[in-house]
Amino acid sequence: MANGARTIAKRDVAHWLAALMRRAEVIAPVAAHGGDVAFAPIASPEQVLFEFGNTLHPPKQFVLPQTDPLAVIRRNGNGVEIEPVHDDRPRVIFNVRSCDAASLAFLYRMHASDLPDGSYLARAGNVTLVSLACTVPCELGFCTCCDAGPFLKEGTDLQLTDLGEHLLAEPGSDKGFALLSEAGDLFRPARPEETGLRIELEERAKKLFGEETCHFASAMRRISTGRVAKELWEAMSDWCVECGGCNFVCPTCYCFSIKDMRQDGSWVRCRTWDSCQYHAFTLEASGHNPRERRADRIKRRFFHKVSAQYYLRDGTVGCVGCGRCVRVCLGTTDMPAVVAAIREGAWHG
Amino acid sequence: MDDLFLPRVARIALVRDETPDTKTFGFRFRDPADQRDFRFLPGQFLELSVFGFGEAPFCFASSPTRPELVEVTVRRTGQLTDALHALGPGEEVGVRGPCGNGFDLPSAQGKDLLFIGGGIGLPPLRGLIWNVLDERERFGRVTILYGAKTPTDLVYRDELREWAARGDVELLVTVDRADNGWDGNVGMVPTLFDKTELRPKTTLAYVCGPPVMIKFVVQDLLMRGFGEDAIISTLERMMQCGVGKCNHCAIGHRYVCRDGPVFTFRQIKELVE
Repeated sequence: MANGARTIAKRDVAHWLAALMRRAEVIAPVAAHGGDVAFAPIASPEQVLFEFGNTLHPPKQFVLPQTDPLAVIRRNGNGVEIEPVHDDRPRVIFNVRSCDAASLAFLYRMHASDLPDGSYLARAGNVTLVSLACTVPCELGFCTCCDAGPFLKEGTDLQLTDLGEHLLAEPGSDKGFALLSEAGDLFRPARPEETGLRIELEERAKKLFGEETCHFASAMRRISTGRVAKELWEAMSDWCVECGGCNFVCPTCYCFSIKDMRQDGSWVRCRTWDSCQYHAFTLEASGHNPRERRADRIKRRFFHKVSAQYYLRDGTVGCVGCGRCVRVCLGTTDMPAVVAAIREGAWHG
Repeated sequence: MDDLFLPRVARIALVRDETPDTKTFGFRFRDPADQRDFRFLPGQFLELSVFGFGEAPFCFASSPTRPELVEVTVRRTGQLTDALHALGPGEEVGVRGPCGNGFDLPSAQGKDLLFIGGGIGLPPLRGLIWNVLDERERFGRVTILYGAKTPTDLVYRDELREWAARGDVELLVTVDRADNGWDGNVGMVPTLFDKTELRPKTTLAYVCGPPVMIKFVVQDLLMRGFGEDAIISTLERMMQCGVGKCNHCAIGHRYVCRDGPVFTFRQIKELVE
């Protein structure tokens, strides 16, 4: 990604953001209630945060809204009319962390594979990702175990690195090159000492993460071959309260349901987030439920994320190591804890 | 590609009571071009929109050889099916699909065919049966075994009579519990096996019905010498999208809506929850 790297002085970033805001909706981490940091469309460049751990919610909602309108259904004199909803507004997601940028690349691949999901691709295809490399680890992240950080080699349109007085910008796609050329004189070619510092910062960040903490390979071998004892899933499931939080804060979870919602005398056919941890996720109209037990559902979640079967299909594990499930899980059945339990064959709760 | 989730409007052209809680609906697309271009295979399914209630998957109960009407047979079991049952001819619904793989009829050419349906499991077979009967010369012997709980629960009664009257089909019907006026077979579906001549080496068996029926029928067929690839069934799961995206119907890394719903028994055995 170092090819074409350019540099912008921090005092010029507001000008750059203002220019971006003229041609797209700019979504960036901003200060939110209670000291939280959240992704939101910005109204002014000054709102954008550059120093933050990570947001509680990933930027997933801007490509896959929690309630995503697919079509509006109206009844008129001629009968039913179905009008597809298209949202292909240009958006820039700015200062997205490496893990989240990797997750958006993952979601794009998911929706483009097999039968392409035109509604998703229209929205996500018009998103430009400007990611901010992590020079210090966040509290709960383990992106180094998922090949999703602290710096990215691919999966972002433009990668920023904070060099102190300047930001280094490395284009990772045509969209990234276009962003730089549109910005004109605000950027200048990076100097050798700047690209050198960037490499040094990446090495330093990796060291700060320390040893890999989430040992996927071993868990993958066991989960893919059915060698996780039923009792272990049962023990873990005793700690799950079925809140669905792990799914909803997960930047790579994309399971959904389809519903008709009433709105102003018509219906909106919506895609809504759903959770594989809910009993009703697989409940059939007859009352039969193939994943009746919570243990069956926990097993399903981790099979989808960690199994070799899915790894071969998707090219990565279904995790980017953001650590959000660690933060929200009320029962500690988060990714690193479950992977450790599978590897050790024991659950410590 | 934009219409992955977009239903096409169809009008109900036929409603037929099958049992006290089951009706067959026939649809015609509102747009003649949709009606002309719509193609499906027996064993595939459609996502049916009842506007205001959402969508649900139903297998095609009609045959592609009779494209005038697309038919589904639906038992009333929840909000959407309640709402569907309240609709009559002329009312509009949405149809999305076809979804899923369907039965592989070309590979059944020249074979003897054994259809085994239980209760509401006959509808997916009905489309296949009519497809076979409309191209009768391509196949060997055709045997249909059908069972329901009581005589009242039998669907497609007129067609059962029609099939029984044809000289080129063997039809055996049974009920778990007889009532007044029933003079046919009584007993579970596997009790019919001894009343017909099975030729496991040359026959493909298509089995659809409730899980417990499938279990006993498959055990019996295996004991009687049917190969695992010669036993074919359709699986059901809670489904939402029907196009392999939403993950509701996943079994391991396979998707009933995309890899199925038609599977051979060998494939079913290899599915790991």
